[in-house]
Amino acid sequence: MDFFIQLFTDPVAFWNSHTLLIAQIGINSILASSMFVVLYSGQLSLAAPGFMAVGAYTSVLMDLYWHTPLAVNIAAGMLLAGALGVLVGLPVLRLRGVFLAIATIGFIEALRLGVILNLPITGEGLGLKNPNADPLGGIYTVLASLAVILFLVWRLTKGRLGAAWAAIRQDELAALSQGIHVARYKMIAFVLSAVLAGFAGGLEAHLNFFVDPGDQQYGVTRAVQILTFAVLGGSGHFMGPVVGALVVTSLPWVFQQAQAYINVVTGIFLIAVIVFRPQGIVGRGGLAIIRPAWWPRRNVRAPSPG
Amino acid sequence: MSVLLRLDNVQRHFGGVHAVDGVSLEVEPGSIHGLIGPNGAGKTTLVNVITGYVPMQSGHAWLQSDELTGLPAHRIAALGISRTFQNIRLFKDLTALENVLVGMHTRRRDDTLAQLATLPMFRRGQRSLMDDARGLMETVGLAASDIAGRAAGTLPYGDQRRLEIARALALRPRLLILDEPAAGMNPSEKQGMRELIERLNQDGLTILLIDHDMRLVMGVCQRVAVLDFGRKIAEGTPAEVSTDAGVIKAYLGTGGEKVVTSAPGASAGDDTDSLIEQTTRARSRAEPDQAILEIEDLSVSYGAVNAVRGASLRVAAGEVVALIGANGAGKSTILNTLSGLIRPDSGSAVFDRLDLTRAKPSAIVHHGLVQVPEGREILARQTVLENLELATWGRRDGAAKRTQIEAVMKRFPILGERRALRAGTLSGGEQQMLAIARGLLARPRLLLLDEPSLGLAPQMVDEVFAAIAEIHREGTTILLVEQNALRALEIADRAYVLETGQIRLTGTGDDLLHNPAVRRAYLGG
Repeated sequence: MDFFIQLFTDPVAFWNSHTLLIAQIGINSILASSMFVVLYSGQLSLAAPGFMAVGAYTSVLMDLYWHTPLAVNIAAGMLLAGALGVLVGLPVLRLRGVFLAIATIGFIEALRLGVILNLPITGEGLGLKNPNADPLGGIYTVLASLAVILFLVWRLTKGRLGAAWAAIRQDELAALSQGIHVARYKMIAFVLSAVLAGFAGGLEAHLNFFVDPGDQQYGVTRAVQILTFAVLGGSGHFMGPVVGALVVTSLPWVFQQAQAYINVVTGIFLIAVIVFRPQGIVGRGGLAIIRPAWWPRRNVRAPSPG
Repeated sequence: MSVLLRLDNVQRHFGGVHAVDGVSLEVEPGSIHGLIGPNGAGKTTLVNVITGYVPMQSGHAWLQSDELTGLPAHRIAALGISRTFQNIRLFKDLTALENVLVGMHTRRRDDTLAQLATLPMFRRGQRSLMDDARGLMETVGLAASDIAGRAAGTLPYGDQRRLEIARALALRPRLLILDEPAAGMNPSEKQGMRELIERLNQDGLTILLIDHDMRLVMGVCQRVAVLDFGRKIAEGTPAEVSTDAGVIKAYLGTGGEKVVTSAPGASAGDDTDSLIEQTTRARSRAEPDQAILEIEDLSVSYGAVNAVRGASLRVAAGEVVALIGANGAGKSTILNTLSGLIRPDSGSAVFDRLDLTRAKPSAIVHHGLVQVPEGREILARQTVLENLELATWGRRDGAAKRTQIEAVMKRFPILGERRALRAGTLSGGEQQMLAIARGLLARPRLLLLDEPSLGLAPQMVDEVFAAIAEIHREGTTILLVEQNALRALEIADRAYVLETGQIRLTGTGDDLLHNPAVRRAYLGG
């Protein structure tokens, strides 16, 4: 409760005391947009943490060794993530549904366990110090870029590209019959998603003095968290995953009083949303709450036939 | 003579199945060309080959001077072949208008940059596209102002069919392929569809039309090609095709001219011929007074599709009754309703005092009404024995179960021999035997058989029918659904002819065998 009371009564104090949370929400929203782009084109890809790692390490290492400016570092990270996206996408985008999900998990684990934890330059699993981080000042960059990204994604879904993506998501075969080069459009979405994840990774690294190669950062745990944004928020509208990111990221603060049981409370909340709002928070049907089939009905007498 | 679409000796196999076996076809520009054939003849596979979903294994295809052979589906669409689907494949969550806009993909300039900049120039382009899309919806008879903004999946069935055609037209095709555009429509909707097809053709569009409704195909097509078992068996004007002996045989099936020498299950020396005679002798003439199954004025629909419209029929204990009719007539729907899998809109169905319209499917089986489903539905990865054991699952009389399984394996010796093989490795006819054996293990008093001869080679059909005759002789009442009409009429005491959800004719098997109206029910005219 304290959380909301402060938010509404004293927004300035809230901003000051929750700057890191807000920045994290911003980063997660960018990741959610990355997830949105692949889901919107009908691909269940969990590769985002891998591309994040590429963006983060590229940007931090360039800063450490070459002392290039932040913008250049992050741009290089995005470029590399996009290039890797093409390489990964060529073999795995033939897969669909849960098989694609598993293949992309294979990719992020291979990258984390095989490369990042083994190379001397990435700290061999001990992590990497990032002395030039700017946890408090970075928030403005995060929020401004989030606004730009949301605008871009929104516009993309409105044009020919977005129409092709939506068609592929709904029915690949029918999309082919409309002359849509399905493989190409899937690749565009996958690479765009990789670039966005690379950007989020570079930006997130800039907020922390330490790059931690842990599972909750660049591994399956993170991938599942990002997927949760989309499932919870709804993946049919570009704002859905962003709302999901907002909710999931702030839940631990909202339910602070639960203390040790915080994960239990959060979990129950998520299950409740999925049961009563299966299309996601931002989904079709306005604010309607869906009654699941097993929910006891009040005795409504059906009109007797004849 | 110019040709729009030319196929030259096109082949496509799936495993050992020759789905399309050396088909050559020429479609003239500006014509409506029909493509017909019984269930499983390879029509849809041929369309999938033409449109590039399924690559052809040999042969060639051209659209005017463009060679289609080996091109991916999206290139073929861009060259100007668009299609609709047998089981509507709209983008269900997109609005009707968005569906048509997707169809314009190939002739829309890439507007990504303009989108990002939200230029006014782009907006003007967008508006003209939308007007275009609305125009197409009006062309196919949809009121664009009403439905443009609705999700395609929420539209009524007939409108979905029309919307799919509008989406296909958005491509500005040179050839439009319609795969069963009138399937599941009632007569007035069908008439509307027919008018639409004729109007599109008058505007200069070439159409390849596949449909099971012979009145539609024979009515609108200038030429008709007939497929059977993947081969083109006839081509010509509708009049030529509908009187072609080969076509009639393909549709109505063949009688059992050959005497089966080794009917499975028939004990040595037992002559099948006399077997059929025995059943023939016991034929009752008229509709029975004492019926074990009574269906009264049954109507069933799937959403907006009326599959069965006021059908009534009765089956007396000990009879073999055949329910025949063309594809889509509603035969399987009736059986599925009797098994409690579908609930009817109105009418009654009573089996030995059990109300089938309300009872649970499991209770219906318990009561002695057992269905052997179309397409057999055996568990391909389980062994023959496991399939049979599963049929007795849930019964507690362990010893009796085992002796009964042994008994059906004696009845169908081939199943006994193959008890340890995976069911999927059996031939089609053997799989059908297995499906029937599984049905028998539920100890039916009334056995519903849905298309037991589907996809079987002629001599396998003989064996299956001999088995059915023997099961009947042992006292099981049978309701048989068949496309292979002549064959079914031979063993049936009585039969009902179903056409577009209504009973058109009824009579004894012999009467209907020689009744020309049966042929009309299948081939129109």
